[in-house]
Amino acid sequence: MSSRWSEGLRTALTLRLGLWYAALFAISAALLLSFTYLLLGRALATQDREVLESMLQRYSVAYQRSGLAGLRALVDADESEGRHERLLVRVTNDKAELVYFAQPPGWSGFDLGVLDDARASRAGWIAIDNTIDGSELEVGTRLLPRGITVQIGRSSRVRDEVLAHFRARAVEVGLVVAIIAILGGAIVGYLALWPVRALEAATHAILETGRFDTRVVTRGTRDPLDRLGTSINTLLARLERLVRGMRDALDNVAHDLRTPLTRLRNVAESALDEHDPAALRDGLGRALEETDRVSATLTALMDISEAETGTLRLTPERVHVAAVVEEALSLHADEAEDAGIAIASRIDPSLTLIADRTRLRQVVANLIENAVKYSQAGGRIDVEAAAPTADTIAITVRDTGVGISAADLPFVWDRLYRGDTSRSARGLGLGLSLVKAIVEAHDGRVDVASTPGAGSAFTVTLPTHGHGHGPRPHP
Amino acid sequence: MRILVVEDDRSIAAFIAGGLRQEGFAVDVAEDGVAGLELAREGRYDAAVVDVMLPRLDGLSLVTALRHAAIATPVLFLSARHSVDDRVKGLQTGGDDYLAKPFAFAELLARLQAITRRGQRAVESTTLTVADLRLDRLTRKVDRAGTPIELRPREFALLECLMRQPGRVMSKAMIVSHVWDYSFDTGTNAVDVLVHRLRDKIDRSFTPRLLHTVRGVGYVLKVE
Repeated sequence: MSSRWSEGLRTALTLRLGLWYAALFAISAALLLSFTYLLLGRALATQDREVLESMLQRYSVAYQRSGLAGLRALVDADESEGRHERLLVRVTNDKAELVYFAQPPGWSGFDLGVLDDARASRAGWIAIDNTIDGSELEVGTRLLPRGITVQIGRSSRVRDEVLAHFRARAVEVGLVVAIIAILGGAIVGYLALWPVRALEAATHAILETGRFDTRVVTRGTRDPLDRLGTSINTLLARLERLVRGMRDALDNVAHDLRTPLTRLRNVAESALDEHDPAALRDGLGRALEETDRVSATLTALMDISEAETGTLRLTPERVHVAAVVEEALSLHADEAEDAGIAIASRIDPSLTLIADRTRLRQVVANLIENAVKYSQAGGRIDVEAAAPTADTIAITVRDTGVGISAADLPFVWDRLYRGDTSRSARGLGLGLSLVKAIVEAHDGRVDVASTPGAGSAFTVTLPTHGHGHGPRPHP
Repeated sequence: MRILVVEDDRSIAAFIAGGLRQEGFAVDVAEDGVAGLELAREGRYDAAVVDVMLPRLDGLSLVTALRHAAIATPVLFLSARHSVDDRVKGLQTGGDDYLAKPFAFAELLARLQAITRRGQRAVESTTLTVADLRLDRLTRKVDRAGTPIELRPREFALLECLMRQPGRVMSKAMIVSHVWDYSFDTGTNAVDVLVHRLRDKIDRSFTPRLLHTVRGVGYVLKVE
């Protein structure tokens, strides 16, 4: 449905863009043609006027030089030479008698009576409309000495023909322009929307296939469409990471639950073979314990996954580091004492930070539990806190335990990872992963330094002002 | 005391109902939200145990409808969700509480008693006694068969927690919330260590043994 909608939108956009282009193109062409037409008309008219002017001048000179006879001779000569084939020549004397008149054939429809008026009023130029074909006769009148008047007229018919011809060509040109405009519009519309089309195709493919590793093609032109493509790619990358993270988390949960579930099954199965009621009870009890372990593993895994994907619900508040460490210590103090491990904390009571109190306690408690687990009798555990910079607080849990080999060190934060030396150690193997995930969800970081045989130091560095807002996706 | 259990999983419903009846409660069971609401509307229950995820009408809507009908029966939510929904927390007014699945029956009972206010005795005596073991809450002294026993504060808190309800199994989570005053995810063995120490002091040189481990459930103080 969304594809049909976007299809419709795309078509509408292409059409609109194309139409805009075609319309603009056509209007520009029409304006250009009209302007040319106007210029041409004006140029032709000017030319006609110039011809008339020069003829008038010629006849005036002839008259002035050799009188009426000379004028007539020149007019006749011109006419016989075909020089003013298309000219009307009219010469009148001072008594308004027609001395000479020549008119090209087929020039009907002009009311020549006005020529006398023009002579009388000494008007320089008059235009006589043809009542039949709408053409125009332009007549120039010049008074010569001794009452002689020379009038020369020229029909606009030739001019009109040229213009008519131009108009006919213009229509043809207009048709071509229209075709170019429409074709161009279609091409422009198609080309302009090509990136949009590519975006749409890519996003559609992703919707169809659910493959978030597909990317939109960008050309690095930094135009808005290209930037949109880049934004979509960034969004896709984030989505991909999130989806992959969730898929991995699910795989991990399934994997990590199989082992305790197998144990649970085995315990229940062997209990089924028991006939002694006490042994049966014991088997059931162990099954219950395994159930609790499955449950605890699930909780820890979910916590880790949520912290890693940024969906862990954190309730930031002002927390006194000393109080939190004290609470965490109290949970493992007895165990440490029983194991002959000295445990102490030296923390400035004024140190505070913004963090989720319960989660921070869990972090410190897990580190202490870890330290106790890998320490031997006679060892000691120190918990310290300091402010390495004005806006960070570092909490260090240092032990004198077995330490971690350089080869194992990079993997201590991995889920279920235990160094070879501690395969038999109890626990879920998720403690340090959870520590790392929670600390990073607080925008902090964890570091570990260790000397095999001499002990380890885990340091949690947290911003004192928290990250200010609730859970958000990690970059 | 009459308790309404609204839970669509028959096995879980039967487990809760059976356990509660054994404790002397009268129990009605509804298998979906609508039936549960109908029963609850009658308003004759002292408490209700309501699963959050229910067919036809979810637990939260059920309780919202119940509150709209001005029925204040305290409700204990059961939730299979990992982190309990904010809305559940929002509904935890008037003594309501929630319990995450899977749960120990002992814990369900403890929470139920807490929300019905039955868990709190009107008069808590200053001296608790189980067999020949005595604990004085005022002087914070403990003796067994007349022999004084030195207890550290956490050991004392654990013993007090167990002696308040002798014969009642306390889950690890309940002990943690009593002794350390906070809840944490099970998986640490702090409770086992503490119980071990306490047992050393109150049971090692005496008979009969009083502090028993109920495997997979918790700990109980009683004369076998």
